[in-house]
Amino acid sequence: MAKLYVDNDKFGYQSASPTVEAFHSAIKDIVRRKLDQCGGDWDSFVFDKNYDLITAEDFAGVEKMLLDAGHKFDWSAAISPRERPEIYKPAAGVSDDDIATFSFEHPEARTAEPDAEGRELRGIGDNVAQYPQNCSGTARYIRSPDQVLKYLNEGVPADTIAIIDDSGGTLTAPILEHFKGVICAGGSTRSHLGILTREYGVPCLMNAKISGIKQGDTVEIEVTAKAKTADAYQTGVEMTANVWRLTKA
Amino acid sequence: MAQKRISYAQLLETNNMMQTCSDETYWLCVTRTVQESKLFPVPAYMMLSYLNAFYRYPSLLKKIESRMSAEEIGDRARNMGMKIQNPSMGWALPGFYLLGREWLINMGLLKPTDAIEDLVYVMDFWKRFQLSWHRNDGHITNKEYGHRAQILPESRLQVFHADMYDCAEGDELHDAAQAFMASVSQYGFLISCESRISLHNSGPYKLADDREMIVRDFMDLSESDFPWLDDVAAGVPHNNITVTMAVKDCHFYLVDDWGSFEAQPEFKADKLVGVGLYTSDNLSDGYIPLGMESREALIAKFKELNEQVKDATTQLWKRIAGWSRDQMIDAGAITYFAIIKDLAHVAGVYDVDDWMKIDERAERFRPLLNDEFSRDALGELVGLVSHPSQQVMEYTQAMHSNKPVRMYSNIPYSVLAGEAYTASSGPVYPGITYLPEKKDSYTTTRGRMTFAEYNKASREFTPPTLTDKYRHLCDTWVKYHAGSELADELYKLEQARSRNLKGKGSGLKRADIEKLRG
Repeated sequence: MAKLYVDNDKFGYQSASPTVEAFHSAIKDIVRRKLDQCGGDWDSFVFDKNYDLITAEDFAGVEKMLLDAGHKFDWSAAISPRERPEIYKPAAGVSDDDIATFSFEHPEARTAEPDAEGRELRGIGDNVAQYPQNCSGTARYIRSPDQVLKYLNEGVPADTIAIIDDSGGTLTAPILEHFKGVICAGGSTRSHLGILTREYGVPCLMNAKISGIKQGDTVEIEVTAKAKTADAYQTGVEMTANVWRLTKA
Repeated sequence: MAQKRISYAQLLETNNMMQTCSDETYWLCVTRTVQESKLFPVPAYMMLSYLNAFYRYPSLLKKIESRMSAEEIGDRARNMGMKIQNPSMGWALPGFYLLGREWLINMGLLKPTDAIEDLVYVMDFWKRFQLSWHRNDGHITNKEYGHRAQILPESRLQVFHADMYDCAEGDELHDAAQAFMASVSQYGFLISCESRISLHNSGPYKLADDREMIVRDFMDLSESDFPWLDDVAAGVPHNNITVTMAVKDCHFYLVDDWGSFEAQPEFKADKLVGVGLYTSDNLSDGYIPLGMESREALIAKFKELNEQVKDATTQLWKRIAGWSRDQMIDAGAITYFAIIKDLAHVAGVYDVDDWMKIDERAERFRPLLNDEFSRDALGELVGLVSHPSQQVMEYTQAMHSNKPVRMYSNIPYSVLAGEAYTASSGPVYPGITYLPEKKDSYTTTRGRMTFAEYNKASREFTPPTLTDKYRHLCDTWVKYHAGSELADELYKLEQARSRNLKGKGSGLKRADIEKLRG
């Protein structure tokens, strides 16, 4: 079989992600095979013949190879498992069906028994902007466009502290300014959601590591803590704010 | 084997620019944010956009330069808040092309010795544009300048400074400006499918010992190039909006090549002490004031625009929520790939098929782009820098990470010693799209135009300050010729729409401007 230029690599061996490595290895096999088919001349293959010889069907076959081996893919956009549920891991907490029992469970969530004020520590996060007072309200998970559409049509309930795992600024775009506060399980204080909550003056913790908070719990976020800076991220300095549960739903 | 047309000096320079981009891209990616979204399959569209950039940029840049050089477009970019600033030009033009190249190398579909003439040309175009656009601060990128961007000439800065209205936290102007900037930022993220590329900040510019100015551009807001803004954005009257923003007791210590800023102490609402509002494009001859005739008019304009933008946000969000995954990927990939499309508008050679379609060579790869593979392949490419092609000898300590890695593979110098190489990936191939065809309506500062009318107007227009008579009258020349007839002519062109500076000429200094503000 034809040998590729990258087959002789003194320092590179394989990609870190098993999925990527499996895909790239399979693609390189296709390239070797097709290069052989057209006589092995790279210069006429690379920008000419390969455009016809290597097709979308070949690439679809690469994905199928992993699926046939029993692999299910992680999903990130709600549209992905909705259109092809057969290839993705099951999606939880994205509809009213299971929202009452759903919760984020981060393995590094910091928890503690209730303090003297009855506040039960359920996690930490990075504070986007410092406010004079902490922010408390009702926890509501928002993880899909359907949930946003519902609030867009019916209005966001008063005192909602939105719990989101999307650090982007688009999922909640039409309703973001109506939240009392935000707890985001991803990103950093400079993520799009962080930037937007700062612009709107909505208290927000990013990169939150929380556990056990259920839909309807009353929570408090420590936005009187110092905002986490770029330097703190770059130098690895820990600057966290607390997330407390005040009452269960 | 192609003819040997590349010199040693060209390779040295190209590899140097690629390394600079490699260092900075790593820093930008690891110190900023993970791009993720529950709405858009972001990594999937990014990976597709990189391939589209690799296959199409060389041909499209040559088409642009067939009418206007990169340097001339760089001059024009200083004169307006159009989307040929950052992150478009400082980072994305080379970055997207190089990321496409690197991914193809790791799939065995490309050698580091392939498409070398394309690569040298793309990097050379980038260098010439950047040097021209950054002519006043004398750097090639914000990164080279210690993360700042002082793009504008004194004549323009004086107008921004003089005409800005003071505001303070809690007053009506402050509230209206803040509300608009929040809404338009959010709208920008939605237009750009979760990316920040509708937003750009430049500066800081020193207004006084305790005050600085940042110039904020919000771009591609109206019914114009993107098919997904047809109808839903028809109520947004301006395609590009610039807000000048003065802050007190707050230093913008970082303005990067993604167009983002960082301040110390932290920039919060109470630091905002002055604002101005403008629109511009390549047909506008600089910045046109919006509501700047009075404080009351400016408050009303901010409020009006805020409502228009919020309405468009809701309509656009509902449209996007009904899209298929392929439509989302198309919109995102086109947003990314076409981040430099305004180069073609300025040159008057814009074509919908060039910029709003996925080239069939890139389209082949779509079946690979499930969420997990895309996320991991992208993460390895720009964050972990862990693909095989990115590993270099163990003695290496890369900038920032100290690891033996290099994001972008060098061109091997062995091509000068007889190793075979290929020159180009070829011309633009036919493209496809899952989105509706673009409506033939483009919002410009001269009103709505058809695509053909817009190109014609672009070809026929040269802003007066960029005609041969004035184009090379830079700030260094003004330093030694202030008060001369020619310098006054140049400044009066910039001052023509100014409330406080009209006809004042070239002799004023910063303190004089402050006095004129009252």
